[in-house]
Amino acid sequence: MNNQGQILGVFDDPDVINTAVDELLRNNIEIKDVFSPFPLEHVWEKLNLKTRIPYATFLYGAFGTIGTFAFLYWTSVINYPLIFGGKPTDSLSFVVLMFVLAILSGVVFTFLTFIVREKLWPGKNAKMPDPRSMDDKFVIVIEKDKEMDEAAVRKIDELLRKNGAVEVNMSNA
Amino acid sequence: MYNIKVRGVLIEGNKGYHDITRDITSPILSKTAPTWWRISAFIASAMLIWGMWGFYNTIAVGLGTWGLNNSVSWGMAIINFVWWIGIAHAGTAFSIFLLVLHQRWRTSINRAAEAMTIFAVLAAGMFPMIHMGRIWNAFFVFPYPNTRGPIWDNFNSPLFWDVTAIGTYLTASFLFWYVGMVPDFASIRERTVSKIKKKIYGILSFGWLGSARGWLRFETAALLMGGLTAPLVISVHSIVAMDFAAGIVPGWHSTIFPPFFVVGAIFSGFAMVLTLMIIVRKVYKYEEYVTRRHLDAIARVLTFISLIMAVSYISEIFVAWYSDSPYELYVFFKNRATGDYAFEFWAMITCNTIIPQLFWFKKIRKNIALVFIISIFINIGMWFERYVIVVTSLSKTWLPSTWHSYTPTITEIAIFVGTMGFFIMGILLFLRYLPMMAMSELKGVLKETSIVKENTESHE
Repeated sequence: MNNQGQILGVFDDPDVINTAVDELLRNNIEIKDVFSPFPLEHVWEKLNLKTRIPYATFLYGAFGTIGTFAFLYWTSVINYPLIFGGKPTDSLSFVVLMFVLAILSGVVFTFLTFIVREKLWPGKNAKMPDPRSMDDKFVIVIEKDKEMDEAAVRKIDELLRKNGAVEVNMSNA
Repeated sequence: MYNIKVRGVLIEGNKGYHDITRDITSPILSKTAPTWWRISAFIASAMLIWGMWGFYNTIAVGLGTWGLNNSVSWGMAIINFVWWIGIAHAGTAFSIFLLVLHQRWRTSINRAAEAMTIFAVLAAGMFPMIHMGRIWNAFFVFPYPNTRGPIWDNFNSPLFWDVTAIGTYLTASFLFWYVGMVPDFASIRERTVSKIKKKIYGILSFGWLGSARGWLRFETAALLMGGLTAPLVISVHSIVAMDFAAGIVPGWHSTIFPPFFVVGAIFSGFAMVLTLMIIVRKVYKYEEYVTRRHLDAIARVLTFISLIMAVSYISEIFVAWYSDSPYELYVFFKNRATGDYAFEFWAMITCNTIIPQLFWFKKIRKNIALVFIISIFINIGMWFERYVIVVTSLSKTWLPSTWHSYTPTITEIAIFVGTMGFFIMGILLFLRYLPMMAMSELKGVLKETSIVKENTESHE
């Protein structure tokens, strides 16, 4: 799809990058991604990024609650109904374990969902467009596609610089 | 409405983003560990080795090496277990309660507090395991398909809830801690010049890039995991309290126990955070990150919790008197307040409710040496609280013929010291090899504070 390289607008202030993103969007330039050393909430809103992880977490929690109840009911009532201290085998105190294990299920599976969706794994080779975005720089990445001619690239370059980019780099990766 | 200006400066010294990266990664990237680190590691290893001897002695010879007897069947092991679990509440209380309450000053401290949680839970977990005597059968506590029926655990027992709750607490805290560190590992990966470190932190960072979508998912996942873990602070120590409260022993059989234990846990956790952060800010020269305002805020929280502790103690005594049960009256008024365990009882009262009241004075809150000493007193006081609860109640129950006193043996003390060595060693390794403050979060609060600083200056 690409193979034409990328335009990297490097910024050093999170507030400046906000206005730059606004300006690029107003000029109908597609922003591929924004790399930053810490989360920039406003940029997500502007790029219209959404995540469905909360729904998934709800399902994991529900699974944990129901699964725990099913296990407790099966072990204590069906499989080996052993009476402790004359109490009924299907006890209200199952709630405690259901509560705790719902949390466990929610946390563990949310973690797994996060790394699966982000395609992270131990030892994955991280290809950073600009490694400094892990330190103190904020990088806007714009894809150069085939239709983009010299003039269009120059326009983006100008736009980035005008809006506070400290440098604009072209990468051919 | 609250005003953002109220918050003031969180990170002092006019730092930029790069300064944060440099300051936090420099202990990790330096080739050699500082001298104080080596000395502490040596002492901690010595403590750990002594503890391993205690462990070995217990397993090779048996529980007879402990000072337990038919009456006092829970001794040092359970005292220390509850004490460590209490300390383990620091991380979650810090990270998550303060996250939910929008207390952004937590950013400089939460990572270290979470590390404390992990190592304190691990230290705590050793005690119930070794208390079983036959540690190689410890897996019996888990419900697994077996050839004995299959007979299952008693799922209505607080002891089984304990296993589940603490296992969950450890897993959830660890994952939350780890997720928070992933971006910082990536920062170290990009910063280090050493090939080996690049490889190791590259693996640990899971290939984190810090893209906009990545950060969105990261924040969402971290918030959800944190929000889910928060109720565990309540449930873990409530369940530990029910280990006691469900037993019909005078002094234990009390409905106040779960909230009382939870508050006590947060109290000791905050005190341990204070102890640790005062040392860390001093030895790593992080006074600009862990500012006097941070210490002041923790001291204020401790004053408040100390008052809740006082109310709990008083209501326990009041209920004992109001119940008119001779056994309850005996435990509180004879055995604890004036009897054989009066020293432990009054040590607990003094350390937990009287000494922290000194924090009312601004001069004392400003004096870091005094704050440090008071935090140590709270740690000791909380240990005495568990001692009072476990030993006084068990030593003199219903029948005077079963009365028996308890003195810990050298093996029990060795194991306790060993877990302290383990905890200190864990913290030392954390300080040396892991990012001890959440760089990405510090950077996130830096900008706002600089704006706030300008505003407040113009007002003054």
